[in-house]
Amino acid sequence: MVQIVISSARAGGLAEWVLMELQGEIEARYSTGLAGNLLGDLHYTTEGIPVLIVGHHILYGKIIHLEKPFAVLVKHTPGDQDCDELGHETGTRYLVTALIKDKILFKTRPKPIITNVPKKV
Amino acid sequence: MKRTREEVDATLQIAKLNAAELLPAVHCLGFGPGASGAAAGDFCLLELEPTLCQQLEDGHSLVIRGDKDEQAVLCSKDKTYDLKIADTSNMLLFIPGCKTPDQLKKEDSHCNIIHTEIFGFSNNYWELRRRRPKLKKLKKLLMENPYEGPDSQKEKDSNSSKYTTEDLLDQIQASEEEIMTQLQVLNACEIGGYWRILEFDYEMKLLNHVTQLVDSESWSFSKVPLNTYDNMKISDNFSLGEVYFELDTDKICRAAAQMLLQNAVKFNLTEFQEVWQQSVPEGMVTSLDQLKGLALVDRHSRPEIIFLLKVDDLPEDNQERFNSLFSLREKWTEEDIAPYIQDLCGEKQTIGALLTKYSRSSMQNGVKVYNSRRPIS
Repeated sequence: MVQIVISSARAGGLAEWVLMELQGEIEARYSTGLAGNLLGDLHYTTEGIPVLIVGHHILYGKIIHLEKPFAVLVKHTPGDQDCDELGHETGTRYLVTALIKDKILFKTRPKPIITNVPKKV
Repeated sequence: MKRTREEVDATLQIAKLNAAELLPAVHCLGFGPGASGAAAGDFCLLELEPTLCQQLEDGHSLVIRGDKDEQAVLCSKDKTYDLKIADTSNMLLFIPGCKTPDQLKKEDSHCNIIHTEIFGFSNNYWELRRRRPKLKKLKKLLMENPYEGPDSQKEKDSNSSKYTTEDLLDQIQASEEEIMTQLQVLNACEIGGYWRILEFDYEMKLLNHVTQLVDSESWSFSKVPLNTYDNMKISDNFSLGEVYFELDTDKICRAAAQMLLQNAVKFNLTEFQEVWQQSVPEGMVTSLDQLKGLALVDRHSRPEIIFLLKVDDLPEDNQERFNSLFSLREKWTEEDIAPYIQDLCGEKQTIGALLTKYSRSSMQNGVKVYNSRRPIS
C-alpha cells in the first residue's frame, strides 16, 4: 500500500495565490513554450472588474470567491538527502505551497483590439 | 526586460481604454522561466472543502492511501474522500502575489506596476467526494491470526501476522478515527502493541471464567472490581468505571447466541430462545433485539427459525450488499433489513433513502416489504 502525505510547506500563514481561468488555451508564438514569456497586463476597473490585455486581444472577466478553495500541491520525490531522522526513506509527498480562495474568470471570448495606425512605442 | 509604465500606458491607448476608469495598479503577468504545466506531474491543484482548508491552515496533514490496484482515497484525521481528477477545457493559471481589487484599494500603494510571475498552469484539478471508509479489509487482516491466548504456540511463532495501528493505517483505506471506531465495533484488543481479534472459543473461555468468578464471589454484574481483571485483556466487554467494571449484558447475550448459532445452520426459534436464556448468567435477560446484525429470524418457515447472519461478513459495496441480501431472502421488511444496511448510510443518508434507491417496495398482507429492483442471478 502506498501512503502519500500532503502537508503544509511551513507552519502558520500559508501563502494565498489567485487562480486565473481562461477560456481555451494560451499558446506561445513560434511554439517556444510558455516559460519566460510575457502574458499580458491585468487591470481592474474602479468597479473592480478585471480587464486583461493579451497581445491584440482584450478580455473582461469577474472575480469569484471560491466556496471550495484550492490547494496548490508541489510534489517532492525523495532524493538521497530526503531521509527522516531515523534514516528511513520518506517516499513521495506533496507540500501545500499555497491556498487559492479567489478566482479571476474570463469566460467570454476575447475581443480583438483594432488599430488603424500602429503606434511606435 | 520588464515592462515599463510607458509601455503599459501605450497598450491602454491602443486598446482605447480610459486609464481614469482603471485602478492605478497593474499586474504585468509573465510566465517564469520554470513555469510549466501540471501535466508534467510536479504540482497539481486540489479542491478542498472549507473544513479541510481550515485543517491545512492549522498545520494538519492529509494522506492519500491506496494500493496500486485500488482507487486512491484521501483521508483527513476523521474522514475519507474519493479522489478524482476533474478535467476542464479552460486553462487554469496559478498566480502568486496577485492582488484582488479589494486588496489594491485597501493598500493604496504608489508602486503601480506589479510584476507577477505565473507559477504554472493546468487544465485539471483533483476533486474530493466524501465516502464511507473501506473497512472490510480490517477484519480480514485481523482474522489472519486471531489471538488464542498468551500460551498458544502461535504467539511464540514470531512469523505470524500482527498489526500495529501504524500497520493498519498503511493497509486500510480509511481515516485513523474511522479505523479506531471499527476496531471497537470488531471488539479488537490491543495486545502487546498489536491489534488482535480474540479467537472466538478463546473469548468464550475467558468470558466464562469471568462470569463464573463473578458468580462465585457474589459480585453484582454492574460492579466487578477492576484490580483482579485488568490483566485479562477482555476489557472490551466491560465499560470502564473508576475502580469497577460493569458487565455489558447485551454483549454477553450476543456472545452466547453466537456460540449457539455458530454450530448450527439454522435453529428452531422457540428452542433457541430457551437454550439461549439458559446459557447466559443468571440475572441477565436475553431478547432478540440484542441480535441485530448478528442473526436473522425467519417467521415464514414452520417452525420459525433463526440463523447466524453477521453484517460484517456481507459485502461492503452498496449494490453488492443489496444483491447478497436479496439472494438470501426475496422480500424483506424494513425492520429485518435495517440492521444489515445501517452501516451503508452515509452522511445525512437514511435507511429509507437507501431502500428507495436499491429496492422496490410492495404490500404483502398489509406489511410493506422490499425486494430487488433487478432479477438476482
